[in-house]
Amino acid sequence: MTDTPDDRGHFSELMEAYASPIRRLCAAYAESTADREDLFQDIFLAVWRALPDFRGDASVRTWLYRIAHNVALTSRARHRRRQSRESPLEDEDAAAGPEMGLRRLALKRAIAAMTPGDRTLTLLWLEGLSAIEIEEVTGVKSATVAVRLSRIRKHLQPVEVTP
Amino acid sequence: MSNDASSLSAVWMSGQRVDKEHVMSSIDTVLERDRAARQRERGIRVGLLLVLVCLLPTMLWAAAHGVTPLVRAAYALMAAGSAVAVFAEWMFLDWSRRALPGPADACSQLQRTASMLARQIVLMKTAPIWSSPIFVGVAMIGLWLYRDRAHSEAFVLWAITGAGWVAAGLGTASARAKLNKRRLQMEQLLSELQ
Repeated sequence: MTDTPDDRGHFSELMEAYASPIRRLCAAYAESTADREDLFQDIFLAVWRALPDFRGDASVRTWLYRIAHNVALTSRARHRRRQSRESPLEDEDAAAGPEMGLRRLALKRAIAAMTPGDRTLTLLWLEGLSAIEIEEVTGVKSATVAVRLSRIRKHLQPVEVTP
Repeated sequence: MSNDASSLSAVWMSGQRVDKEHVMSSIDTVLERDRAARQRERGIRVGLLLVLVCLLPTMLWAAAHGVTPLVRAAYALMAAGSAVAVFAEWMFLDWSRRALPGPADACSQLQRTASMLARQIVLMKTAPIWSSPIFVGVAMIGLWLYRDRAHSEAFVLWAITGAGWVAAGLGTASARAKLNKRRLQMEQLLSELQ
């Protein structure tokens, strides 16, 4: 892609709008701050490269989540992640308030213990995507998505009741 | 979305706010990385073209005008081997690019990446065979040296050729093992996702 002001402007708007969801996705896939930053930039890079071919066939949101999850899933196989030396309750969890921070931490731990497939479905569901949209992002049939999410939600019930 | 889903979503979305400054600095870094990666790939492709444009005609000339039939055959083999090696490197680069994550759905992406990795593995597996004309050609030059020049020069050339062939074989075997590990991870991810 050529680096024209128009391209860059479009790209900046897109990334500003979706930086927070992408950051949350990175937090679920990578343990250390350095790995999260690497993954965050890898996703930005893949979006930048794919942007010229985006024709609006899919919504921007599902298009971007496809790229983000593809980068996150394949980068796990590509790089051996660095060991995390961070405290379990990180700044962003603490910033959300003590109660919310603890619940968020419990949720993060539950997500971290999932298989990559379940984790992908869970993250999309938590970001508010419907089963149909999750099918568009993952390629897994929406009926299968619904069944698996029902099982995942049962598994996440203890997190829901954590004070 | 049910209440518990809304509640969990709220918990999930309560963290990881990103400030505009960080997004802007990430964009700068990404654009710089993209430029560097494109320059590196362009450099490799230009290098491959230079091999084809400079080395290949020289070898073909030597194949046509060599001092003996043995030397001519050796250069012809080396020319053929070099052309195949350049083509293989070109294909490898192309498959690497096509394996990069894009906007396909996750299942299709994992299938495509695994398929590209499988192609690269086959290419690596057969490397000692498709690169053999180069090594055989050099060894034939060694044979010509042995017959018509000094024996010691021939032994040195054969030793270098043999070491190069073994090193190439070991190098590709190691790269193949890494690619195969990645391919298996992709297939496992795909089966977990489906």
